[in-house]
Amino acid sequence: MPPLPLEGIRVLDFTWVVAGPVATRILADHGAQVVKVERKNPAPMGNRKLGLQCDLHRGKLSAAINMGDPRGVELARKLAAKSDLVMDNFSARVMRAWGMDYESLKKIKPDIICVSMSGLGHTGPRSSYVSYGPTLQALTGYTMLMAEADGEPAGYGYSYADMCGGYTGALAALAALWSRKQTGRGQFVDLSQFEAVAAVIGPSLLDISVNGREQKPFGYDSQEAPAAPHGIYKCHARKADAPGGAADDDRWLAISVHTQAEWERFAAALGSPEWTSEPKFQTLYLRIRNRAELDAHISRWTAERSPEDAMAALQAARVAAGVVENGIDLCARDPQLSERGFWPTVATAAGAATQVTGIPFRITSGSGVVRSTGPDVGENNDYVLGEILGLSRAEREELIASGVVWL
Amino acid sequence: MNPPGALAGLRVLDLTDYRAQLCARIFADLGADVIKIETPGGDAARRIGPFVDDVPHPDRSLFFWFYNLNKRALTLDVHHPEGAEVLRKLARSADIVIESFAPGTMARLGLGYDDLRRENPALILLSIAPFGQTGPYRDFKADDTVLNALSGMLYVNGFPGRAPVRPLGLQAYHSSAHYGAIAALSALFARDHSGAGAWIDLSMQEATAAAVEHVAGSYFENKIAEPRRGTLHWSRFFRVGRCRDGHIMHCTLGDWTSLIEWVKADGKAQDLDDPAYDQVLHRYLMAEHLFDVLDDWVKEYPRDELLERAQLLRQPYATVRKPEALFDDEQLAARGFFVAVEHPELGRTIRYPGAPYVMNGTPWRVYRRPPLVGEHSGDILHGELELALDELAALAAEGVI
Repeated sequence: MPPLPLEGIRVLDFTWVVAGPVATRILADHGAQVVKVERKNPAPMGNRKLGLQCDLHRGKLSAAINMGDPRGVELARKLAAKSDLVMDNFSARVMRAWGMDYESLKKIKPDIICVSMSGLGHTGPRSSYVSYGPTLQALTGYTMLMAEADGEPAGYGYSYADMCGGYTGALAALAALWSRKQTGRGQFVDLSQFEAVAAVIGPSLLDISVNGREQKPFGYDSQEAPAAPHGIYKCHARKADAPGGAADDDRWLAISVHTQAEWERFAAALGSPEWTSEPKFQTLYLRIRNRAELDAHISRWTAERSPEDAMAALQAARVAAGVVENGIDLCARDPQLSERGFWPTVATAAGAATQVTGIPFRITSGSGVVRSTGPDVGENNDYVLGEILGLSRAEREELIASGVVWL
Repeated sequence: MNPPGALAGLRVLDLTDYRAQLCARIFADLGADVIKIETPGGDAARRIGPFVDDVPHPDRSLFFWFYNLNKRALTLDVHHPEGAEVLRKLARSADIVIESFAPGTMARLGLGYDDLRRENPALILLSIAPFGQTGPYRDFKADDTVLNALSGMLYVNGFPGRAPVRPLGLQAYHSSAHYGAIAALSALFARDHSGAGAWIDLSMQEATAAAVEHVAGSYFENKIAEPRRGTLHWSRFFRVGRCRDGHIMHCTLGDWTSLIEWVKADGKAQDLDDPAYDQVLHRYLMAEHLFDVLDDWVKEYPRDELLERAQLLRQPYATVRKPEALFDDEQLAARGFFVAVEHPELGRTIRYPGAPYVMNGTPWRVYRRPPLVGEHSGDILHGELELALDELAALAAEGVI
């Protein structure tokens, strides 16, 4: 097997919650050795051997070091001196107070790269604001614009800000590592998660900055090329005795018809019912104008079908359509994701195994891999202190006895 | 003299359509030389609005501008055999080619990974497709909304018992672009180990599924399908509330004592001063009731005043704002997030969202405004690829460039 792309890179990881761990998880999946430095009793977030916490921490090592003790800080600084990258998601004062900020660390490791992924950045009047992904989504406009027609916010059910911040953090780290390879120089990256998620509503921001247009919820209007039909349509309920599980009337199909050719194939796939040849649906302009009526016709067609059957009929006619998959559809029934092995299995410490979220791309020269489940806090103390820092067993025991390192 | 960007020296050929153009923009922002290859007449993204002053024109599309800042542009019909030949020549000096054609198209054009590898063994080809290059859905069609559906992202948004609500902001495309850039950078590091290039097969469905943090984890841990919960976040520590003049995002992960003292002082604590709420687990279990009480507390407050007071107590509250507010945001202004980009053809200077990171060694900057249709064709084909002028004239006559 070829080496993983980031083999030989060591990351000292002070991040927590979601966005930071997503960034360092991506680096771990691609071969970096990620060493988490953390408290013995972090806020209870769940079991790192399963589910979300496993997805966030998989492939990493954990050392439980007491950063409230000067000797703990000294251990962390020694680890930094043996690392390529130090990542955190604190506001500016935390790392500085420990002497772990970029300016301090570069004195002991001249080519160190520090990536700080704070909520609102290290500078500016609101740099000390406390934030989480859902609050950053609110500040940027995502929450307000993801609304039903009556305008009241309706979500989010998940935290895109955390994921977007995590991806941007991983990208900044990779770019800085690449730059160091060419120049030999490290640097400090001050990333604002707020800005990371704000940046990607770019077309809306330009519409405001250039045209002064008030932004309203899109509903199911296309946010790309105009389209009609474009939306989700209620499908046939699943009966309790049907294959695939319990009764379920929360079944929907997404349909997107952008071009005239797609519309013609769409109408044919429905069996060309009379309404599809009515003049009011013959151009995209008219379909958008008469959309409510168009959607009512389509809903009558989908109501008699399961979303899977309707999707198959439309995709056979090369029309974009997809089941609105719930968690079970996604993880246990989607034939594409299972065929591509998107839910790999990793062994748990208990000798059993669990499935995890895969890596959404394959690289012929060496794909990333999910190497292990997440570590319990302090699980790798011996490795980190013994192998990386070269401390003897007696020295490690003394650090534990004096509360500098937690078992 | 400005220091070079972090990816200075890399060359990227961007053959993507509008679904994946953010990916190459990430490279351009970091200082790589990114050449957008567009069909003669202009890339299809140039026909997507909004447009400057709502006047549709290929050189006025704000949609195109956002995704193509910092790139150069070359018109080239790669579906024409001579156009494909020009692309193969360009690939010799490229590090990365990014494409988002239907699977199999590149090979049919003589531009598949094996074709390009013959020209340049170190080349990295990044293929971004709705469902990837393999599997039963390989040839299926999808746009952002259909990908939201097939990734579990759509189902969890909205109120229980009502229709799912679609996310804002082309999150399927953007997640794919972020993962695409991560993948291509990873392949560059792998190339340094082996000298060999790579073909990357990225599935937008997978990238979108990976961007929903809790749905797969809940299934694999507890065998449940995460439901829709309205504005209550799945963690149960956040919910939208309504102030006198707008919405606020509550959060119960801050210091509980100081929050509840404030609510109590306002006479609105009801049962929340019960010490049981000091435990995070109790707040988790009682989330619906807890947020109902807090909603009643905030309803007379002006939104911005509530936010300022909450943040002084280090409560992670936020106002629920429209994106317009970002242009007046003091924090973004202090960090110089919005940047002025000159569009001399229109006689206008336009504010763009800038970079979400400050890199002190390799600063981000605007290298050039988004390109006009085929703006750099001459520079690239004649100046850099050294095609003779009569060859260029012949290609132009055939409609290849």
